[in-house]
Amino acid sequence: MVPRAALLIALTVAAFCVPLVASEFWVTLLMQIMIFGLLALSTDLLLGHAGLFSLCHAAFFAVSAYTVAILQVRYGFGTASAAPLGIIAGTTLAFVFASAVRTRGVYFILITLAFGYIVWGVAYRWASFTGGDNGVTSVPFPALGSLRVTNTVAYYYVVLAVVLLVAAAYRLLVASPFGLTLRGIKSSESRMRSMGYHVGRHLYAAFVLSGVIASIAGVLYVYFNRFVNPTAASFPVSVEAVLMTIVGGTGTIIGPFLGSGIILILRNWVSGFFHYYTAVLGIVFIVTVLWAPQGIMGLLARWRSGDRGEGV
Amino acid sequence: MSSAAILQAINGISLAALLFLLSSGFTLTFGLMRVVNMAYGAYYLLGGYVGYSVVRATGSFELAMLCGGLTIVVLGYFVDRFLIRPIGGNHLAQVLLTVGVAFVIGEVCLAVWGGDNLRVQTPSYLRGSVTLPGDIYYPRYRFALILFGTFAAVSLWLLYKKTQIGAVVRAGVDDREMVNATGINVDRLFVLVSALASFLAGAAGVAGGAFLTLNPGAEWDILVLALVVVIIGGLGSLEGAILGSIIVGLLDAYGRWLFPELSYFILFGPMAILLLFRATGIFGKEH
Repeated sequence: MVPRAALLIALTVAAFCVPLVASEFWVTLLMQIMIFGLLALSTDLLLGHAGLFSLCHAAFFAVSAYTVAILQVRYGFGTASAAPLGIIAGTTLAFVFASAVRTRGVYFILITLAFGYIVWGVAYRWASFTGGDNGVTSVPFPALGSLRVTNTVAYYYVVLAVVLLVAAAYRLLVASPFGLTLRGIKSSESRMRSMGYHVGRHLYAAFVLSGVIASIAGVLYVYFNRFVNPTAASFPVSVEAVLMTIVGGTGTIIGPFLGSGIILILRNWVSGFFHYYTAVLGIVFIVTVLWAPQGIMGLLARWRSGDRGEGV
Repeated sequence: MSSAAILQAINGISLAALLFLLSSGFTLTFGLMRVVNMAYGAYYLLGGYVGYSVVRATGSFELAMLCGGLTIVVLGYFVDRFLIRPIGGNHLAQVLLTVGVAFVIGEVCLAVWGGDNLRVQTPSYLRGSVTLPGDIYYPRYRFALILFGTFAAVSLWLLYKKTQIGAVVRAGVDDREMVNATGINVDRLFVLVSALASFLAGAAGVAGGAFLTLNPGAEWDILVLALVVVIIGGLGSLEGAILGSIIVGLLDAYGRWLFPELSYFILFGPMAILLLFRATGIFGKEH
């Protein structure tokens, strides 16, 4: 087995070199993969570690994207203030929506879904503030003082740096006692409770933290896309983020990015010749659930351990 | 009450009638088999489109409702039998799988019926409007829908509470293993309940397609309303579906009228507050 550190360094170096060798199409696609991978990673903190299946993460993603767009375009804020305010806005919403952790199982799924729809509905219907269906357009590239991003390749490096930083912080988080407690709750909530852990507070904190990550992804997204409309808050974005996580493999860091890569490359490829891409996506959902519920990372782990059997 | 307020109340109740048709099936299949089927919105839409085509071909609205419902019974059976059953009781897997099914159905509808807003033609005897005291004109069709919804609610309630089959279903909702142990085949019972639920969803599509429009995306709009109904009323409860439909129908109508830009807040706000005090909805039990 290749040492994990060597593999990670090789991947990072490769990611830094991509703009030198690849066309702008691939740079853009890779950026998109990283941004949606980060969104997928945020859902995986809940799904892979705490065992909660959230369907509202597009809400934090979109609220932070909208905040940045509106502040920059309408009120002339700079990136230095708009980007942090975007993350704060998304996180504040996460504090409110985190009340969903009072529920479990199917209720949690349905409630987060309904929460997500509130944000979509506001983005769509409150047209005087959010721009309705058209959203907010002509968001500039980010700039910090005299440091300006002026082209796609420069922004690629910004995204790469932020994603690496967040992934490193995420790694520390899940390896910490806090992460361990979450996995304890996932495997047996009642045991953790009887051992004296505040299960509710841990889940609440995990929900908010995953909202922070989704908000960071939202900021990266709005500068990447240069506009934002209600689609960013829509249900398909939330459920696709979870699908990416599962396709890649839950409970890992690389899995959500891998899943994001597979789904987005598939979309780019299929859209080229087939008009009904969503149907293909639907089939990916069905196939994943029926035949690869542990995702690519799960298949890899099974292959490495030499177990070709059915048991997981 | 001003006449506009009365008008909105009737609007709300007629939407409630439609929501009941959809959410009663969802709530009963969940109660009996713990299956979360997110494809119900797509069932609604497909049923509506089939009904649209049947009305255009034959001119019969009743036949359209029948065909819309039966199409979904057949489709729903195959989805239950070959997709949902193999994955067992994992809600996460059920949600992802049925969302996938809904995506596929939605795209098939788009390919066959296109992206325009379509409306099912109502029969001639339900066209026009009735005049209420206070000079309120109201579409006759919506009154018929309220009557139909009430009829469906009463018959389902009687079936559920007063018949032998209903008693077995209620027992199955409470304790499935125990019912199985007494020699009743719960799986077969589920096929029956699921067929009924599918029929209602498909027929609801035809009924709803005559006053809301059928268009791509309508499946999610209606599904989310139905989900709020079952969340408020409590999963697995028929009374909850009735009460929840009325609450959601009225909130939606008044919200759109009084605060058009924030109507989603009006709809979901009470739900969020309710959940803080009672996570399982008004009539729900722990699952």
